[in-house]
Amino acid sequence: MRRTGTILSDAVRCRFDLASRLTNLVRTASFPTLIALAGVAGLLFSPTALAQATTDEDVKPIPIFQGSAGFITNFDAGDAHLDPIATPVVLVPVGERWLFETRANFETDMVQLPGRSGFHGQVEKQVDYAQIDFIANKYVTVSVGRFLTPFGVYNERLYPVWIRNLQSDPLILPIGIGPSNASTGAMIRGGFKARPQFDINYTLYFSTLVTTTPVDSDRFAGGRAGVFVPKARLEVGGSFQHLLQQERSNLFGFHAIWQPTSLPLDVRWEYARSKRGSGYWLEPAYKLSQVPFWQNEMRRTQLVARYQQFFTGQLASDPLPPVNTKQFEFGVNYYFMDGLKFTTNYGRQSSIIGNKNIWTLGLTYRFVVPIMPEGGRR
Amino acid sequence: MKRNWMLLSCLTVMTLLVGTAMAQEHAKSETPAKLPDGVALLSADSKPSDDVSSPQGKRRMRQARHTTKSEQSERAEGEQRFRENCGRCHQPPHKFSPRLMAAAIRHMRVRAMLTDEDMRLILKYMTQ
Repeated sequence: MRRTGTILSDAVRCRFDLASRLTNLVRTASFPTLIALAGVAGLLFSPTALAQATTDEDVKPIPIFQGSAGFITNFDAGDAHLDPIATPVVLVPVGERWLFETRANFETDMVQLPGRSGFHGQVEKQVDYAQIDFIANKYVTVSVGRFLTPFGVYNERLYPVWIRNLQSDPLILPIGIGPSNASTGAMIRGGFKARPQFDINYTLYFSTLVTTTPVDSDRFAGGRAGVFVPKARLEVGGSFQHLLQQERSNLFGFHAIWQPTSLPLDVRWEYARSKRGSGYWLEPAYKLSQVPFWQNEMRRTQLVARYQQFFTGQLASDPLPPVNTKQFEFGVNYYFMDGLKFTTNYGRQSSIIGNKNIWTLGLTYRFVVPIMPEGGRR
Repeated sequence: MKRNWMLLSCLTVMTLLVGTAMAQEHAKSETPAKLPDGVALLSADSKPSDDVSSPQGKRRMRQARHTTKSEQSERAEGEQRFRENCGRCHQPPHKFSPRLMAAAIRHMRVRAMLTDEDMRLILKYMTQ
């Protein structure tokens, strides 16, 4: 009896000792260590929720090949650019919880060179992401590899040519996403219903320094969190990042996506701030499906506008504009059918180094095909 | 010469892509709408003896109606979830085969951070 008591008290002391050590570790740890600790904690807690984990897909998924292609023509201050682009995506689901996903990008910027006829350009090849995802439970998914940096929502969700409403990138896009739009490291993320009225989604990530072009990435750690209210169709969220190299600065941003239920309208907004610059963009897109005439054509037509401003920061950065810049764009998209879209827009950029017009015409297409025979349903 | 080849290749690829899209659209318009399972069950297994007035017939009818209702409500819920979640970023895609859609929805679960229930209902809606 006495021996049992001693063992119990030893166990309790050991537990308290472990707890105090952990508290000290958390108190003295640096930011990336904390991110790593959070990841480990997520993994440790995941077995407890494994029983409720979501492997409820009744059907067995098969590897698929999907992606998008486009041919975009830009007239930037009178100079014509022909931009054929193809972005194939391969998805390989393994078992009930694993997914390997990768996306490549083949893009050419063809321009007229002085003294030569025709358009010339080189094909730029890049692996946008190649990551392995493990769906640990309904709250946590762990991803490792090269992944799109989840700073704001444009880079991760709205970047593909078949999704974006306007073909030009927002001026603030380079803020917080690293030199090649992607990070190399690990990430935990998830989305869950916190209350019946709203869902919460979050991402925590750590990226390491890679200097091999074109898969280079910076060393940073950060996170993003958002709240989505399904009834109002409103998502708001914020992003944070701490750069662990160069100026070791903090970056932050906010985003919102709203789709009013009574109107075929999408409103997207993003704001980002860093030492290298800050700015915002606001993009409403309205589908003419409520127009009472030519209904077949009108429901396929979408009017888009975007207003954006960029303010320079304390430090200069190559991919960002060198001076304060304003840009307004207006465009029309026509959806011939699912996945095939004609897009056109006009924009005017103003800054102290000069104003210029930007015209864009393009055709984008999205495809999905199975890699192996589908066989039966399961 | 090289430029001509490049242009010709681009044109061929674009023609193929547009052709594939049109073929998909054509196939979609020709595919008859799939009836809910309950209705299919009722019509396929109906026999002359399964008269609505007989007890078995009534029970089968009730079961089928119940299945159809729950299927329909799940489908409606799935459609709503689809519009709320997927519609935030992109236009509605085609409905694909279940196994293909299961892979795409797993990808979207990671990318768009869909919740567990959203994933299940959207998958159901997109494969019916």
